[in-house]
Amino acid sequence: MVGKRVRFKTTHPTEFVDITDRLRDEVKRAGLRIGRIHIQSLHTTLGIAINENEPLLLHDFEALLERLAPAGAGYQHDDFARRFDIAEDEPENGHAHCRQLLLTGFSTVLVEDGELVLGRWQSVFAVELDGPRDRQLAVQLDGEFSAPRPKGAGDAELVELELSRQLLVDPEPVSAPMRRLVEAGSKRLRPTLVQLTAGIGPRTEPLRAASLAAAVELLHNATLVHDDYVDESTHRRGRPTVAAAEGPERAVAVGDYYFAKATRLIAEIGNRSVTSTIAEALEAICASQIDDVALRGAFPGDHDSYLRVVRGKTAALFAAACASGALLSEASPEIVDALRRYGDLVGVAFQMADDMVDFSSSSGKPVGLDIRQRVLSLPLIYAAEDREVGPEVRRLLAGALGDDEVSRVAALVAGSGALERVRAEAQALVEEAVHELETIELDGLRPILISLARSAVDRNA
Amino acid sequence: MRERGAETATTQMGRMGAEDPSRGSGRDHTVTHELDRIESLWEEGLSDAYRSYLDAVSGFDSADQPRLALAAALIEVGVRLQGLGGRAAPPPTLLMGDLCLARSSRLLADAAPQPVQVAFARAIEEMSSAAASERPAPHTRELLLRAFEAR
Repeated sequence: MVGKRVRFKTTHPTEFVDITDRLRDEVKRAGLRIGRIHIQSLHTTLGIAINENEPLLLHDFEALLERLAPAGAGYQHDDFARRFDIAEDEPENGHAHCRQLLLTGFSTVLVEDGELVLGRWQSVFAVELDGPRDRQLAVQLDGEFSAPRPKGAGDAELVELELSRQLLVDPEPVSAPMRRLVEAGSKRLRPTLVQLTAGIGPRTEPLRAASLAAAVELLHNATLVHDDYVDESTHRRGRPTVAAAEGPERAVAVGDYYFAKATRLIAEIGNRSVTSTIAEALEAICASQIDDVALRGAFPGDHDSYLRVVRGKTAALFAAACASGALLSEASPEIVDALRRYGDLVGVAFQMADDMVDFSSSSGKPVGLDIRQRVLSLPLIYAAEDREVGPEVRRLLAGALGDDEVSRVAALVAGSGALERVRAEAQALVEEAVHELETIELDGLRPILISLARSAVDRNA
Repeated sequence: MRERGAETATTQMGRMGAEDPSRGSGRDHTVTHELDRIESLWEEGLSDAYRSYLDAVSGFDSADQPRLALAAALIEVGVRLQGLGGRAAPPPTLLMGDLCLARSSRLLADAAPQPVQVAFARAIEEMSSAAASERPAPHTRELLLRAFEAR
């Protein structure tokens, strides 16, 4: 069973809105092979009808409704003096309610071989009786579905193409190091979130979504180029960092170039809400980077400071990716807000999981790199607070960190229960993120967003 | 590297040109609001840069003018802080420069017409591309003043 809402605007007092193609699209998108599509009006002055879409006939229907229930014919419903609890903008629309009673508020259309079962001249109409208004229909699809094509499959290729296209036109001194970083492999979580959420609202445009997703990925990588210089990291994704390979001057320039390019690509999309959302996230990232470096003086820090930094440094772009995709698709403010909260929670959980990787010998990264670089890390914070191992952890972290000290700290963290505590906390955040999805209409995307949230903390998945 | 003092940013800015204290007053309340975390930069060159862009924004909506002038000033100061086109700044100073650019981007998103947003981004692309190519740096203020003409 797939449920969703179909939203549209009407422009006339009485209007026959042909929704047949919208329903066909829903059947195709859901992959319904055989079954039923149920349509239900969510309004008392919006009817449903199945008939012929012939303009003169529609005029006849309109005239018939006018004869049967003429406007202004002295309906008791319009006598506001006799009614209670009247809204300030209550219209005189007794005729519209009566007309709706002559129609119906729901309909079921059968589906066979993935197509609506309709006669040659049949179309499905939502009949506006008191327009113009914003309207919505509840739609449920029920039956046998074809094996689901993973949502977003194909979309990921669009992002890769867009990234390649953008890097191809850039000057070599900036594009070469960025290409190495982008092609070194990343989970592409942020662009995936953009693309998924860009499919939620009524305006779904895969190419615009891919442009936004690619720009968000470039922006993320631009911040990494500067991060690596700040952290003195020599390698990222198994390859030398830009700062290590080409010097800090080049790293500054490459980071700036792709910061600017990404913001330009986003501005060119032409959606001010999207531009502002990403710009606010970028500001939060930069502010948190400053906090992060400042906190290294009090390494390993505390839980509150950790959360404050991670919310800006990591989660802000996750949240912005989710919100901007939804904004691009013109999803409702409730959906945008819920997805923003979902992204924030997943982003924090993701960072916690990333912290744990530093203590895993099977991750492919050297164990204890975060310890050596004195990077903010929740397992370290918990181990430093631990009654048994805490004093030794704090003593070691306060001194010079050679190989022996790093190994000892890593062993103390692993033996302290800190990793289990962080894992539980990350999982709780993921469940909180999943909870955010429960109250909003997601056009069938809920399972994949849940799966993505859970995979963010399960690095073995 | 982390042992370098957080005050480096301020020191670096101090070399950018002293501010006449008598000119530090009278800034728009919008500007004051936007100086969170970068307040120290105002007296160390940001205010001069800001004032130099006020004429260029006179054709914009009056409510947007302070934000637009500040956005340009933040880019000018930000890239200078970072050491773009010269010797890379130490990390704390670089991060302060990054924050200037990010805040500028947000101000432009809020207050600038789309063509101006695009023109400012292109100006930074041009500066950073020149820096990466070790070509002579274009004049920042001229580039940014030209960006205002894109509306």
